Amino acid sequence: MFYVFSMSYRPVWAIILPLLVALFILFAGKKPNLRESGTLSGSLALCFIVLSMTPFVLKNGPILFSGFTLFPGIDFAFKVDALGLVFATTSSCLWILVSIYSIGYMRTLKEHAQTRFYFSFALALVGAIGVAFAANLVTLFIFYEILTISTYPLVAHEESPEAISAGHKYLAYLLGGGVFFLMAILATYNLTGTTQFSYQGIFSAILDNTSKVYLQVIFFFFLIGFAKAAWMPLHSWLPSAMVAPTPVSALLHAVAVVKAGVFCIIRIVTHIYGIELMQILGLGIALATIAAVTIIVANFYAIGQKNMKKMLAYSTINQLSFIILGVALLTPMSVTGAILHIPFHGFMKITLFLCAGAIAAIAGIKEISDMAGLGRKMPITFTAFTIGAFGMCGAPPLAGFISKWHIALGAIEAGQLIFLMIICMGSLLDVIYFFPVIRDAFFAKIPAYEVLNDEEPKVELYIEKKNSIEHRKSLYFFMVAPLAITAIFSILFCLFPNIFGIYELATTAVKNIFGGL
Amino acid sequence: MNQQLPVIIVIVPLILSIVNSFTRRRNENVTFYYALAAMSVCLVCSIIILNTVNSQGTIQYHLGGWPPPIGIEYRVDHLNAFMLILISFIGFITAIHAKKSVEKELPGKIALFWCLFLLLITGLLGIAITGDLFNLFVFLEVTSLTGYALVAVGNKKATVAGFRYLILGSIGACFYLLGVGYLYIATGTLNIADLAQLLPRLYESKTILMGVAFILIGLSMKTALFPMHIWLPDAYTYAPSAVSAVVAPLMTKVMAYVMIRIIFTVLQPAFSITVLRVTDIMVWMGTFAVLFGAVMALPQKDFKRMLSYIIVAEIGYIIGGIGVANTIALKGAIFHILNDAMMMSCLFLTAGQVMYRKGGQSIDDFKGIFKTMPVTAAVFTVGALAVIGVPPTCGFFSKWYLLLGGIQANQWGFVAALLICTLINIALFFRIFDKGIFIHTHGSHEHTIPSCNSNAGHGEAPLIMLVPAILVAFVIILIGVFNQFIINEVLCFTFFP
Repeated sequence: MFYVFSMSYRPVWAIILPLLVALFILFAGKKPNLRESGTLSGSLALCFIVLSMTPFVLKNGPILFSGFTLFPGIDFAFKVDALGLVFATTSSCLWILVSIYSIGYMRTLKEHAQTRFYFSFALALVGAIGVAFAANLVTLFIFYEILTISTYPLVAHEESPEAISAGHKYLAYLLGGGVFFLMAILATYNLTGTTQFSYQGIFSAILDNTSKVYLQVIFFFFLIGFAKAAWMPLHSWLPSAMVAPTPVSALLHAVAVVKAGVFCIIRIVTHIYGIELMQILGLGIALATIAAVTIIVANFYAIGQKNMKKMLAYSTINQLSFIILGVALLTPMSVTGAILHIPFHGFMKITLFLCAGAIAAIAGIKEISDMAGLGRKMPITFTAFTIGAFGMCGAPPLAGFISKWHIALGAIEAGQLIFLMIICMGSLLDVIYFFPVIRDAFFAKIPAYEVLNDEEPKVELYIEKKNSIEHRKSLYFFMVAPLAITAIFSILFCLFPNIFGIYELATTAVKNIFGGL
Repeated sequence: MNQQLPVIIVIVPLILSIVNSFTRRRNENVTFYYALAAMSVCLVCSIIILNTVNSQGTIQYHLGGWPPPIGIEYRVDHLNAFMLILISFIGFITAIHAKKSVEKELPGKIALFWCLFLLLITGLLGIAITGDLFNLFVFLEVTSLTGYALVAVGNKKATVAGFRYLILGSIGACFYLLGVGYLYIATGTLNIADLAQLLPRLYESKTILMGVAFILIGLSMKTALFPMHIWLPDAYTYAPSAVSAVVAPLMTKVMAYVMIRIIFTVLQPAFSITVLRVTDIMVWMGTFAVLFGAVMALPQKDFKRMLSYIIVAEIGYIIGGIGVANTIALKGAIFHILNDAMMMSCLFLTAGQVMYRKGGQSIDDFKGIFKTMPVTAAVFTVGALAVIGVPPTCGFFSKWYLLLGGIQANQWGFVAALLICTLINIALFFRIFDKGIFIHTHGSHEHTIPSCNSNAGHGEAPLIMLVPAILVAFVIILIGVFNQFIINEVLCFTFFP
């Protein structure tokens, strides 16, 4: 009777649960409190399910589940391996925090169409978890598309012409890329007769009777398909998509969507092509070059931004390419770093986005230049921001240090010192655009005009918090608490990288790929 | 009883159609129930027939007891049975759905509509079941004539469109008949199975080639294969929504079926592909049709006209898939006949619902439907995603086979056309999603609601329209999920060996 709750059904539950939440939201749309408690309990349950699989996978290897047959030789199947769990853990843990945050954010700003917002959000989680657990390319493709389509209403949420055109751009890049992805899958299936992920890659078997150029072309079709990874020159949807409400930018454009892109790249490189073949075909170095260019150019773009969220968007593009670079170097260390950077960057970047959103919602400020002196009014938020920013630069004791350290070690391991320089330079350039924000926020003089706020409390109860505006409404707590938690986690991940078993998962994944470190 | 099923499925709608035509004006509401009864009988019969075919192989039914070469033979193999189910299912769904919209759009012509509707279904079922080329022509004419009348039954523009359809359709039918005549002169038989046996010895004959060419041209005209599609957009756009909901999914698809029959059953596949090389032409015709249909759909402001051009493109998928001429692509083409019928049914039903509530069928009438007509919008979303080819809807799966077949046959032009069409479909439908999701809610605080109320365009469509539409939407997803079942149990027996 309880076999449906057994381990092999867990991945299915992880997919179905957000789906049920989505339906629940749709039916509970008229009652905001019920709707949001549904979201919260759903996200908690999802996180629990995902985390419960970790020990099993570490001990017994991947969990397999096979559903119905899609095509001859291709099942609708899930395979929960260490790599997938890293991504799933990140998404599901952060969904809880972002759900809490959304309550504060959406209600403070009195956003419209909140039911649609929560509905699409839950649906996007279905996509993200599905991408993480997919056992073959076609299943991956299905969830990849679900993720794209479900996030479209979120990007265009504001319904202004600007938002809708950003949404169109988003679709054009991602669904257009999806067509290339489909083409690449078909070519793969045509060549090998399978699309199952395998640790050694599935192309190595047919290398002898296929032209190398063909395989290289397929690889670039895959890459174009993963426009979600926002590598240059396919990045420009990401800054435009920043018109979305901040919780969307936070979870989807710092974690679920873009990480789905890089996650897919890791999957393709390691499980479809395989490390050896990547080296034979010279694709590793090509991918690394793309990533390196993106790292540097995205940083220069970020320096020029005035809008906080846009700046963070370019910073995301830059950090994503660190992950791509880590994979492209094709050494055990660098791949470990790349896998670790998925959750670590997720936690750090979400901190930054949540801060940006909190600043916009509480103080009504979106431009960086207006933030002078704000650090003293919103101390918790800006402390968290500082932590996140340091993490981006890879300074210890923050999570970013661990992952970048591994990637840098990998660059040395691969003997590619040029990429080591790129990594250092990329991290230094981060400093240039993050530190002025922090400096101005804490140390600059407050400009003459008062910060706009709609409701001034009549009696000042807490003298010591006189300057702080984070405490004026209890609703603000919903925003400040999650960002504080993610900031704390960003530190904890450096000190104890094995929280949620992430470090162990990453090393297991790398062991699988390289056949022992 | 069971042996008589092949004829019952044709006779029942025919008789009830005649009964309908004699029904008095004040009893005209009863005609709907006759039609519904006929459609239920057809649906049940077709399912039993498929079961029989699955267990006992091809059914041969000799009409009036006359043996085949002389008498008319109804020959039901897997492909026929599959088409029968498709036709009766869509007919059944549309019949339920059409009740309200006919009452609203065609007052005073209700009995007439149901009479023609049943006659149309009779013709389509007849085409799908018959094993005789001339009998096929007769049913073709039954279908076409009722089709012209059904289109013309609408408003003034519909009459013109119907007339145009009539002329071009008749030319197509003439070509077909001429071709059949040539084959008859050369072989002395009209029976498909008989022809298939006799023809190989006559493959060098110019008469046969001429005949086949005429037949295929005639059928292309009826299939609305680009550049012979010009009757289609007007006819489908101006036809009443109940009419386009049944004609659009079925007519062209059934003709594509006939084409498959001619190329792969009447002629030997090897002959059609390597000697006649008709498939080489078809793949290019298909490619151009896909591109043309997609590009022409882009600027349309009328929803049904847009769908019409999408049909032109989808016909290109099917014909191109036949033209690729390997098993996988043919699998995809036949599967796409089913899928396209379902998708188009779904979208035309949505159009009918929007027409019923908002009184128009332009894309602007879709404004805010996600708020005012959520169920309709959900159904529309499923249909639209299927046309785009998003998994797990059925459109993805047939597209997969078509693309895979194209890749294996190195038909890169066709593959590229399919992908480009997919991209254009994305643009087409997301434009409507935008209107449906965003436009209304954005202005909801200000002035949109009052104007909407005055339009009487508020609220969901009536239940009797919703239920069939939801059913089709579910079928679209189920076909996608169980596509292997359908292909392995039914379709795989229909391919040439």
